[in-house]
Amino acid sequence: MGLPLFDATQDPGPSFVSYARQSGLTLTSASEHDVSAHATTVVAVRSSDGIVMVGDRQATSYFIAMRDIRKIEAADHYTGIAISGSAARGMEFIRIAQLSFEHYEKMTDSALSLEGKANYLAPLVQENNLYTPLTVIPLLAGWDTSHDVGRIFEYDGAGGCYERSDFAVIGSGSPFAEGTLRLGFRVGMSMEEALELAALAIYEAGDNDPSTGGPDFVRNLYPMMVTITQDGFTELPTSYAESTFRAINERRTQSQGVAGGTLR
Amino acid sequence: MSNMMYVTPEQLMKDRAEFAQKGIARGRSLIVAMYDAGVLLVAENPSASLYKLSEIYDRIGFAAVGKYNEFDRLREAGIRWADSTGFTYSREDVDARALANYYAQYLGHTFTEGQKPLEVEVLVAQLGNNVRPTKIYRIAYEGTITDEPQFAVLGGDAEAIKNRFTVTVPESASLQDVLRGAVSAIAGPERSIPTSDLEVAILEDRGKRRTFVRLSDADVEALLA
Repeated sequence: MGLPLFDATQDPGPSFVSYARQSGLTLTSASEHDVSAHATTVVAVRSSDGIVMVGDRQATSYFIAMRDIRKIEAADHYTGIAISGSAARGMEFIRIAQLSFEHYEKMTDSALSLEGKANYLAPLVQENNLYTPLTVIPLLAGWDTSHDVGRIFEYDGAGGCYERSDFAVIGSGSPFAEGTLRLGFRVGMSMEEALELAALAIYEAGDNDPSTGGPDFVRNLYPMMVTITQDGFTELPTSYAESTFRAINERRTQSQGVAGGTLR
Repeated sequence: MSNMMYVTPEQLMKDRAEFAQKGIARGRSLIVAMYDAGVLLVAENPSASLYKLSEIYDRIGFAAVGKYNEFDRLREAGIRWADSTGFTYSREDVDARALANYYAQYLGHTFTEGQKPLEVEVLVAQLGNNVRPTKIYRIAYEGTITDEPQFAVLGGDAEAIKNRFTVTVPESASLQDVLRGAVSAIAGPERSIPTSDLEVAILEDRGKRRTFVRLSDADVEALLA
């Protein structure tokens, strides 16, 4: 590959995807069969100080393909991105998002706004999902530095991008996680309360959805727990996730597996 | 019959070189120098938004003098090249030497084949790690590439500034000392440059993947005080 120089009329600008398309760097082709590992549950919950994201670690095909896959990553300092659906396309999607945001920042010497990042991903979701069966649904959450507020953006299969003021859920375990969040969500929760609720939602999904992994006490693998605040994206240590999920598991053991009418 | 005058190749190259040199000499100069913990890039630049220094990749910085539209296009191509190389292979496979060679080939080609040579001088700096060394590559308007051992001066007054730059072994001096030496070398004995007319950036390991950092006017003032 030589030096990628373009005439002013052909220049792809600061968009990495436009450049990659023009130079044939990324290929999207259709397949008749769903060939890759998938299935997930990731939730994002808004609290008074930012966003929390919790996601399981299991990749599933006909059997469990991976127990420690990372479905939430920092897209940049202030933004988290999570994926559900095809693992192969999802991982590529995360890389493209990370690279695109940084590329734009370097090319223009200014960072994209959070809304700009959310809108940028929409046509990529649309293109992937309308032309291939390897569906990917991302979830974008971040700290909006121009408005000093945490924001969540979810997508539908056709690439529609919707901002959520409360919480968002993606993946095969969504019904169970969503049910938990609907009953437990309150406006103005603290980060700790939001983390607790989001962890419970993932616990319920892992309990009921065969394609979502719960806490794995044998291998010491726990769902990823992330906070996004004015200080940026922070992945909480395994010890934090472990104590959170051990507490939930202990309560559930005491009640002999019954959630028990109140959120616990 | 054609009434084109015969011009010897020597004369043609000389004319082109003079043309490029004149264009480059019109702008202000810049210095890129190693210091004990990284690489300093400092340019005299009255504009606070039309930058001469830029981030190319995690450990690679870019500096240029001359015509803004010409070197900005090279800067953008460098970022594209680096991002797509890192995407295709791995982040650690992005090497400043490869980029410097591409710039050298392009500038050399344009110098001999183009309508006019590019009126730019370009510099690619790399912060070393356990995989690659710290490097400063300077590429002249006609495609000559030089591997500068400790520092490089770009622009019209390069020779005079080079002689004034008194930090003899910048590699082992602190950021503060090298910055002071660089700013007084660019300014010369009769002038002092206001902080607002300085564009300063560093490549330095600060526990993050991206090492390129622009220093604010306040940072620069504190270092020069």
